[in-house]
Amino acid sequence: MAGLLQNASLWGDDIPWLCALREKGTDVFTRLGVPGAKVEDWKYTKPRLLNADDFVLPEAPAQHSCSCGCEDYCDEGCGCRRNIPLDAYQIHFKNGFRHPEHNHFPEGVTVLPLDEAIAGNEDCRRYLGKIADIETAPFAALNTAYLENGVFINIARGIKLDKPLVIICHTCAGERNLFYNLRNLVVMESGSEAEIVEYFHYDGIEKSRYFVNVVNEIAVGKNAVLKHYKCQDDAYKAAHVSLSAVQIKAGGRYQNFCLQKGADMGRNEVRVKLQDKGAEARVDAAYKMSGWATLDTTTVIEHLSPETYSEQLVKGVVDGEAKGVFQGKIHIAPHAVHTEGRQLHKALLLSDTAEIDCKPELEIFADDVKCSHGAASGELDEEQLFYMRSRGIDEDEARRILVEAFLDDVLLKVDSEPVRNWLKTML
Amino acid sequence: MKPLLEIEDLHARVGDKEIIKGFNLTINEGEVHAVMGPNGAGKSTLSYVLTGKPGYEITSGTIRFKGKDLIAMSAEERAREGIFLCMQYPVEIPGVPTATFLKHAVNAARKHQNLPEMDTFEFLKLVREEGRKLGIDNEMIKRPVNVGFSGGEKKRLETLQMSILKPELSILDEADSGLDIDALKVVAGGVNALRDGQRSMLVITHYQRLLNYIVPDYVHIFADGHIVKSGDKNLALELEEKGYADFVREK
Repeated sequence: MAGLLQNASLWGDDIPWLCALREKGTDVFTRLGVPGAKVEDWKYTKPRLLNADDFVLPEAPAQHSCSCGCEDYCDEGCGCRRNIPLDAYQIHFKNGFRHPEHNHFPEGVTVLPLDEAIAGNEDCRRYLGKIADIETAPFAALNTAYLENGVFINIARGIKLDKPLVIICHTCAGERNLFYNLRNLVVMESGSEAEIVEYFHYDGIEKSRYFVNVVNEIAVGKNAVLKHYKCQDDAYKAAHVSLSAVQIKAGGRYQNFCLQKGADMGRNEVRVKLQDKGAEARVDAAYKMSGWATLDTTTVIEHLSPETYSEQLVKGVVDGEAKGVFQGKIHIAPHAVHTEGRQLHKALLLSDTAEIDCKPELEIFADDVKCSHGAASGELDEEQLFYMRSRGIDEDEARRILVEAFLDDVLLKVDSEPVRNWLKTML
Repeated sequence: MKPLLEIEDLHARVGDKEIIKGFNLTINEGEVHAVMGPNGAGKSTLSYVLTGKPGYEITSGTIRFKGKDLIAMSAEERAREGIFLCMQYPVEIPGVPTATFLKHAVNAARKHQNLPEMDTFEFLKLVREEGRKLGIDNEMIKRPVNVGFSGGEKKRLETLQMSILKPELSILDEADSGLDIDALKVVAGGVNALRDGQRSMLVITHYQRLLNYIVPDYVHIFADGHIVKSGDKNLALELEEKGYADFVREK
């Protein structure tokens, strides 16, 4: 029985820079702790679940075998492998440990388990821990304290990855209150292009409690394009916290879309630094929940250079006694003229007890910029419902169609049609 | 002649306000009835009460449709039983393609009749055929329901739904509002195509103009929540000449 900081024997304790990084993570998390009600950044989303004292760290599997007894992951009902209907490279993690795989990546594409990359890859050392600012992110600090598992992805200059790369994270917690960390590092060199999809799901035991803590550090080089999609479908008593920290060089384009639909407490935070002229980011999200869940979408977009662009559309559907949270900050640095930053949040409340908290923040220190934000929340339109019912469509069906229609325009922000269609099936 | 719709001593209110006050009307199979009334008579309320819109409360009276108690049915059940409301202001539904909407409506009716769902190919063929008669092309049915449609396009889409669903009772609420004469002819043509001696219609309007194109068997003058006078199509012409004031005073 223990809290989030435990003595764990981690790989690589003979690598000084890695140890220093972990130590810093431990120090910062010890100082910040699980955020309480007074921490502005966590005002609406209360990570109470994470004050538990019965967290168990998963053990590395002795061999990569599955609970159903197969040698590899399979398509049996044990849920150890959940294929997604995409022609894609697939990387599987189970409780934070990577499964062996049989991908053959094209030349110029390096995909390594994080520990291997730490041991031998210069780029990994150059970027790891440098993009995410843990001083302002307690769980990223915690993640750094346990830095070990994850994936390192490097797309070489001018290379275009031919298929999406899907990272599938299975959690099989059973009776334990499992806690694990995942750390991914993506380095997109100049002019490279890729699509990365993250998918989080559990093994089918609906009531399992666990905490997944993810940090992605992403460097988008000059004129590189990264499309980063995510679907969070964790168990309904689970906690999921994720921070994607992104830096974008001149002319680089980054697109992020996250669908959150699982977990009791879910937070997807994206922090983007638009570092040079022409850097561009789209950060869109959708959330759909009921019960007592709190799902939080937090974005921080920093325009640090002139002629940088950002756009965000976030839409959510909240039912039951659930709570949707959107915090969106756009910061425009003093010299970052001719920039454009736009943000829109819309929520649909399906019950009287559903709640929405929305906090847009614009910090504009430059003149001659275009910046806007908007927020709206409402209920299903009674006139639309009646119109459909008067054509013979069941009330439940009509509601379902209207909810789908509400989320339709944000899903259209997902460029990749196969990914978009897959996400639609998750709604 | 078999009665299709029988309304007896109907009283209904919206909030605290009683709007329908002792309304009686029987429509037999194959008949077209026009209900004409001044603004504020309760014409739209009548159409919503018959189609089960939430917020319209029936305080007393009975409505029977094909002998069944209509009041006990939900809006969608009434539709599946064969009642269709051609709305004065069709509702815009962003994000729902017209074709998807139509397919849901068609399949809801088929399910009710224990028929298998219509496949996409069959469905599109049906929509194309019926759409052609109303000047509705494929582009229009790809657009979200009524979004950005002109007044004429909206009414044509209402008529298309009527043509596809083939209701036993069509209620037309101010079907001519917002229509120019050409669009009116197209809509009236669609409506008249459904007049086969079996299907019935309730045409609600305050102008006689529409009745030149959809010629009724009976005309009723509706004021202050009930029918004050009934007659044949000539009553509409008389009304056009004299105005409502005379009839309302007669009571």
